[in-house]
Amino acid sequence: MDTKTLLADAKARFSHNSAKQYLKEKYDSKLTVAEQGGLWKADRETITLLDSFESDKLVVMDTFNNPVQVDRKELLAKLKTVYEQTMNDWLKEWTELEGKR
Amino acid sequence: MTRGAILFAFNSPKFDYYSMAEYAAKRINHFLDLPVTLVTDEKSTMSSTGYKFDKVVKVEPNLDNKRDGVPWINKGRCQAYALSPYDETLLLDVDYVVNSNRLLKTFETGIDFACHDNTAYFMQPKLSQEVLSTYSYKTLWATVIAFRKTDRAKQIFECLEMVQNNYAHYANIHSFISAVYRNDYALTLALRIANGHTYLPGDIIPWNLLHVGKNTTVYKDNTDPLDTEYTILFDNWQRGKIRKEYIKIKDIDFHIMNKENFVELMQNG
Repeated sequence: MDTKTLLADAKARFSHNSAKQYLKEKYDSKLTVAEQGGLWKADRETITLLDSFESDKLVVMDTFNNPVQVDRKELLAKLKTVYEQTMNDWLKEWTELEGKR
Repeated sequence: MTRGAILFAFNSPKFDYYSMAEYAAKRINHFLDLPVTLVTDEKSTMSSTGYKFDKVVKVEPNLDNKRDGVPWINKGRCQAYALSPYDETLLLDVDYVVNSNRLLKTFETGIDFACHDNTAYFMQPKLSQEVLSTYSYKTLWATVIAFRKTDRAKQIFECLEMVQNNYAHYANIHSFISAVYRNDYALTLALRIANGHTYLPGDIIPWNLLHVGKNTTVYKDNTDPLDTEYTILFDNWQRGKIRKEYIKIKDIDFHIMNKENFVELMQNG
């Protein structure tokens, strides 16, 4: 039996909350970046922090709580790229899922 | 620097773990581009369909663990360090379904050893994290372990063997039932002991282990063996009635707790 028939026979409903949770699990992990000897999350907080300084070198705590001296501009560029790519993919899949239900 | 995965598979009267290992290995080859070494016993190799593992290591199975009245051969994970031919190794459960290259990130972090300490369940986001017992540690998960051949990783595996050999003693101290040996519990204790009873965030894989848990079933959306799209169906019990709910997922790794469901998934592709 194909899944379409299965879902129809079971009168199953698409779960918005579970779909949102699944996407969060999937794309949160894609925001993790190993760079310049540290492990980073390409999230709003880290990107804003890096962007708010002007110095070339900066010491930042990574996700393992280790202080790491980084090339600020280089790390910022990398995290922005990962963030943008991941969020675009996230939106695309969310839109697809909403359409499939 | 060599890199690969290692699987442990010993057939039981109930399940053909060797076939599960073949299924898992094909996915590891495809999505992670890693060779796979299998640790098994002579008897289990009779199930082979001809898939060529990078290396097959035959050992004597430890039969003294039972679950639901039948042997459950899950002891011996502590040998992974010694038996792995690779400098960097992923040790995976055979019922962990690889659908992406996400696990390669565990090698980028420069760690000696890493496992999951947080889990999430499809369709059941409110389930709490498992603990050894009320007053003990949060459980670590042996489903996915990444390690390098370093002295520290060796120590952790030696410690795992020590806990395995003295499981009843540790169960007594930490107030959990010792009748069935669980690698997750042994790993939780071994890592704590090896780290001087401290918690090191660097030993933790920085995303959640995704489980397909109770009342939840995974179906493949088509028969292509390497397709990564699935439907997850959940029996949501509300006021004595079942309400069926579903989601569609793709390109995400997960661990199936229900072996019957895993076997169905294998047979459908």
